[in-house]
Order: sequence, then structure tokens, then C-alpha cells
Amino acid sequence: MADPARIKTEDKSLRKASEDHPKSDESEDAKAKSSHESKESSSQDPSKQEVKPETAAGEDEEEGTSGESDAKRLKVEPEKKKEKRLKVDEDEIQKMQVLVSSFSEEQLNRYEMYRRSAFPKAAIKRLIQSITGSSVSQNVVIAMSGISKVFAGEIVEEALDVCEKWGETPPLQPKHMREAVRRLKSRDQIPNTKFKNIVFH
Amino acid sequence: MADEEDETGFEEELDDGTGGMDAGHGKRKRLFSKELRCMMYGFGDDQNPYTESVDILEDLVIDFITEMTHKAMSIGRQGRVQVEDIVFLIRKDPRKFARVKDLLTMNEELKRARKAFDEANYGS
Repeated sequence: MADPARIKTEDKSLRKASEDHPKSDESEDAKAKSSHESKESSSQDPSKQEVKPETAAGEDEEEGTSGESDAKRLKVEPEKKKEKRLKVDEDEIQKMQVLVSSFSEEQLNRYEMYRRSAFPKAAIKRLIQSITGSSVSQNVVIAMSGISKVFAGEIVEEALDVCEKWGETPPLQPKHMREAVRRLKSRDQIPNTKFKNIVFH
Repeated sequence: MADEEDETGFEEELDDGTGGMDAGHGKRKRLFSKELRCMMYGFGDDQNPYTESVDILEDLVIDFITEMTHKAMSIGRQGRVQVEDIVFLIRKDPRKFARVKDLLTMNEELKRARKAFDEANYGS
């Protein structure tokens, strides 16, 4: 299935195409995760911390090449990037294997749930079709359920952050969720076309 | 623990009857309760997340899907939702963008592998 290791490397290569904005998001995520230390997830933290510093190191590498001129950059980079990506891929896969082999039972359970949980394709398809009124292709359903899972993950992670910051313990309560949504909204990570922005009041 | 279970049981009855706190989304049946529970555990919550939290998350996810669908309908080919539109809308968010690219690539590989497998079987 999709290897989280491979997603991180795609992130790095895709960052060239996107602007500075996503870059700062990634470093924010890394900082938030490394400082995150709640009771339930303490077993999971080392895994997240070990995975995040890899992306941080990767970011430093990328920033070094940004000084070259555009034309040269376009020629040299695809080959360099491909080699780098293949090597980093294998490294990451190996590291992931070492990591997963050292999980405790509870961590293994959680990791299995993390990888296996997914939204039912039929329900998502029904939902989208009820909104569009016409049928949608299978790829759309696959893309939409994938994005929704990432979205749910972002909210839960932010809520766990809030929960820890308020000095409380895991089963997440609605107040944590709502505060998480408020924070994500201020970072524009939650789409909202219902209420207009009033610029000058 | 026993208290928590009683509480969530009580809340569930309320939800089924009147729609609970979110009067706006009240009467709709819960679509993703089981899957969302597993997902929340996987992302770091307790093994038994509160039902109210799961409800809030479900409403958020359905809102998200609705917003994305509406936006996708308004760009590209009007009135239809296509993958290119979704990818376009997601372009600024590195995590989601990478995830979608990954999923679609993986899907293509699987389709190719299945096709090759079927042809091999057909030949022999």
C-alpha cells in the first residue's frame, strides 16, 4: 500500500513546485510534533519524532540548491533529484522497517489502525453524487476519501496538541475539537465558502 | 470507565432522537461512525473516543467534502467533479497534494498489475 516513507520524499520533490507557504507549514508541523507529549500517545511519539527530523534534514538540503540560476537548475535537478529520491526512498523504507519492528504491542495496534482505517468508498460516492447530481468517476472517490482522511488526521493532531496544552488527557473532548477547528481556520486549512470576509469594518 | 460508558450511551440516545447539539445537521444518520473511531485511534486518540467528538469530526469531514465538491463543480468543467479539479484545489496544501498523487499513482500501478496478471492467466 502507500508507504508513508514515500509520501515524505514526494513532499520534498513537490515542494520545488509549490511556494514558500507550504514549506513553513511543514516546519510548523515538525515543531508541533516534536514537542507533543501526551500520556496515551507518548508511546507513539518517538515514532513521530524519528520520522519528522528526516524531513527537516531534507529541507536543509533543498534550500542549499535554491541559489542556482533557473535554467541550470531545470537541467541538473531532475537527474540529481531522481538519484537522491531513489536513495532516500530505500533509506526511508529501511528505517521504517527498523522502526516498526521495534514497536510495542500497543504501538503496533495503533499503527495498524492508522494504516488500515479508511472511509467506505460507497458512502463517499453516494455523498458526492448527492451533491453534484451526476455520477463521478472512481478516481474522484479515491482522491476524495484520501484527502478526507488526511483532513481528519490534521484535526485530531491539532486537537491532541490543544488537549496537551491545556494539561488534560486523551479521550478528546468536543472543546478540544472546537479549539482545534478554530486554530486550523485561522491558518486557512479549513475551506469555508459560506461566510464572506469583511475586510474593512 | 463505567461512568464514561454510561454517559456515551445516554448521549447516543439523545442523538438518535433529537439530533443532539448540532441542530443544523441533526436528523441525518451517522455515516462514518465506525470508521472514524478506528481513524481517531490511529491518529493518537484513546482506544474508545467520545461519541460526541466522533460526531463533531464526522460533521467536519462531511462539510469538507461538500465544500470541495462545490468548489470542484465551479472550476474546470462546470457541474462535474473531475480529479484534475480536486488536484488543483489541493495544490497549496503539501500533505494532501502528496497524498492524492500517491494514491492515484498507486491505483494506476495496481490496475496495470491486475491487467498484466489477467493477461498472463488468459495466455496460459
